[in-house]
Amino acid sequence: MPQGADAFALLGLTPAFDVDLAVLEKAFFERSKELHPDRFASAPAHERVVALSKSRALNDAYTILKKPVSRAEYLLGRAGVTIGDNERLDPASLMPILEDREQLQDAIHGKRLTEVAKLQTAMQATRARELELVREQFALVEEARRAGGPQASVDEPIAQIKKILILMRYVDRYLEACDAALDEE
Amino acid sequence: MLLQIAEPGQSTVKEACKPRVIGIDLGTTNSLVAHVADASPAVISGEGGPLVPSVVHYQANGGVLVGRPAQARAIEAPHDTLASVKRLIGRGAKDLASLRSMLPYEIEGDDRVVKMRVAGNRTVTAVEVSAEVLRELKARAEASLGGPVEGAVITVPAYFDDAQRQATRDAGRLAGLEVMRLLAEPTAAALAYGLDRGSTGTYAVFDLGGGTFDISILKLVDGVFEVKATGGDSALGGDDLDRSVATAVLAEAGVALGAARSDDLTLAAAQRRLVASAVAEARRVKEALTDAPQATFSLAGALTGGTTIARVVTRADLTTFAQPLLDRTGKACRRVLKDAELTREALDGVILVGGSTRSPVVRDFVAELFGKTPLADLDPEQVVALGAAVQADVLAGGRQDVTLLDVVPLSLGIEMMGGVVEKLIHRNTTIPTGATQTFTTYADNQTGFDIHVLQGERETADTCRSLARFTLKGVPPMIAGMGRVEITFLIDADGLLKVMAKELTTGKEASIEVKPSYGLSDEEVEKMLIDSFEYAEEDLVTRNLVTERIEADRILAATRQAFATDTELLDPDVRVAGEEAIRTLDAAVAGGDYLAIRHAIEALDLATKPFAQRRMNRAIAAQFQGVALEDAARKVGA
Repeated sequence: MPQGADAFALLGLTPAFDVDLAVLEKAFFERSKELHPDRFASAPAHERVVALSKSRALNDAYTILKKPVSRAEYLLGRAGVTIGDNERLDPASLMPILEDREQLQDAIHGKRLTEVAKLQTAMQATRARELELVREQFALVEEARRAGGPQASVDEPIAQIKKILILMRYVDRYLEACDAALDEE
Repeated sequence: MLLQIAEPGQSTVKEACKPRVIGIDLGTTNSLVAHVADASPAVISGEGGPLVPSVVHYQANGGVLVGRPAQARAIEAPHDTLASVKRLIGRGAKDLASLRSMLPYEIEGDDRVVKMRVAGNRTVTAVEVSAEVLRELKARAEASLGGPVEGAVITVPAYFDDAQRQATRDAGRLAGLEVMRLLAEPTAAALAYGLDRGSTGTYAVFDLGGGTFDISILKLVDGVFEVKATGGDSALGGDDLDRSVATAVLAEAGVALGAARSDDLTLAAAQRRLVASAVAEARRVKEALTDAPQATFSLAGALTGGTTIARVVTRADLTTFAQPLLDRTGKACRRVLKDAELTREALDGVILVGGSTRSPVVRDFVAELFGKTPLADLDPEQVVALGAAVQADVLAGGRQDVTLLDVVPLSLGIEMMGGVVEKLIHRNTTIPTGATQTFTTYADNQTGFDIHVLQGERETADTCRSLARFTLKGVPPMIAGMGRVEITFLIDADGLLKVMAKELTTGKEASIEVKPSYGLSDEEVEKMLIDSFEYAEEDLVTRNLVTERIEADRILAATRQAFATDTELLDPDVRVAGEEAIRTLDAAVAGGDYLAIRHAIEALDLATKPFAQRRMNRAIAAQFQGVALEDAARKVGA
């Protein structure tokens, strides 16, 4: 299954950051109908194993593509740029988020839940803005590729995206901490 | 060409030779069995109706009673009459500390598994007790269907963890059933509802049973039932409501109930009788309040040690007693909506499942929580078994127009140095699924990896549920960080987990496959490891081939892409070597030898290394643009 490698190909989509979620879901449902292990419940063992692994690949592709952050990360991976587990932000970008985090920790520690909720809303807005930036940078990548410009015109937005995606890890951890604090009430 | 004359999804001539399969709802309080006949599911009734109380009574002579006859002995012989064992299945004593004081029978055991000591000085596990209930249901089905049952789908709470699922599957096996699938209860209910009404849309299934609570959000489109998110509490149900009613009423009357400490494994016989009677009375009152505005809770003075109790309980009282429990369900519902990234307004409906949702107190709460009147036109106590029967029919080759896409309810991970949990698979991931991650040695000359598999949402190992531990030996001594082991988690369509570990540094493979254990001794686990290694080898080869092909395809695509886009970084001789390696890998992928593919991947990796290095340097340079040089140096050094 040569196309098995690519999440977009598995779902019959053109690789791009902008994905119509309704189209993605429809494609996922259609393919699931054919590939789900239930279809192979009474098939020979080796067919079941293959079906199981195809179904896994499909599910994993869907999981990756349905969320913008994992989708963006996947697209970078396709471009040969990976984000390691321990990648850090440069100090200049890191400082503000660490300060935000400290402020949140204070609010959580002081059990000021309305403040936590407010900080959460603010961070969600930040997250949405950063995702919008990711979208813009991907558009630049597309444009550069179409124009066949110098490699740097592709590399630069990709580096920008990578930076935002690393930032996202901090943002998501921040939001998780908000959830956990608000959940305990 | 033959003409297909039947409607899709309708049974055809195959009907006559179709295997006899059943769907079982193995509940905390009641269990029942259903079957698909003439394309629609129906429950199978026996003596006393379709519901079999999930109660087993053990007699001194070795005899076993199941269902109503067992229930009839509950008050006179509380310690030999086991009810609500679903709350114990796949659990250890530590998990049950708070429950123990409220059970009318004794439990003993360790942190891995609990046992009940019953008449005839026998000990039984929850798996064995559940198997008795399943045997009874199987016998019912066989009597009704006129022949042996060949397979069963058994439902489990969506929020059951892996140990609880494994234990349920074992109970089925012990009862002589071929367990075709474990199916999440809310999913089963949605299946029955969806097919009944031909519904399309997004629904919440609020499933409050005797001892478990599930909340699932499902999307129904065109025969596909996709679980968007699931959550709940596998230790919260109608039982708890009965207990809080009993505790509150008795406390008012100055009678202490269940004051036992958590490390106290036994309760005095009188106390056990009091618990059994008070809880039974509370249940009666709760059920009476479904139709009547008030009911009287009464207990004879002989039970309480002198105080005769006659307390009028109103619906408002019941709401007050139930509030803490309802609030817990409300919290789980809000979390699940959030996980599904939906607001309650986006739901097309709320489906009620489970006997406890018969109570108007619960219904009113759900209506207010979701802002809509819940659906309960299918019997909430039967709908799960009906759905299970449909799924059994699907798996047996019956109707083929239904596809269930379920999720893993709790995240799965492994313990890292320092007791932190690294999650490999996150909750609400569609199953089957898998994940692979590579870990490195943390100490010099470390020759083994201790792998501790955990399930749960918390950050630290001691707050998650421990599923399995095993050691991978034979890592060659080297400096810290150089030894590498690749851990693979695979979850099948039942939601059951397999873990494989592979030592990567030597090229020599050591793969083991482990099924998470519950209540098994180290020797048993060891034996299981050896067995699975021996027997799973063939499966493993197939899976390795599939995995390597996927990996090869990924690398081929990435390399071709990089060759095409970063031409200026590609030396001519690297290009020649790379293209040669690509051809070799293409050929290996077409062949059937996974080792050949792996070697070709490594060769391609090696051939393109200079190119990859240059790309990485450029990426780093791009990232450091505008950053002070010393910062850059620090980062590279880190």
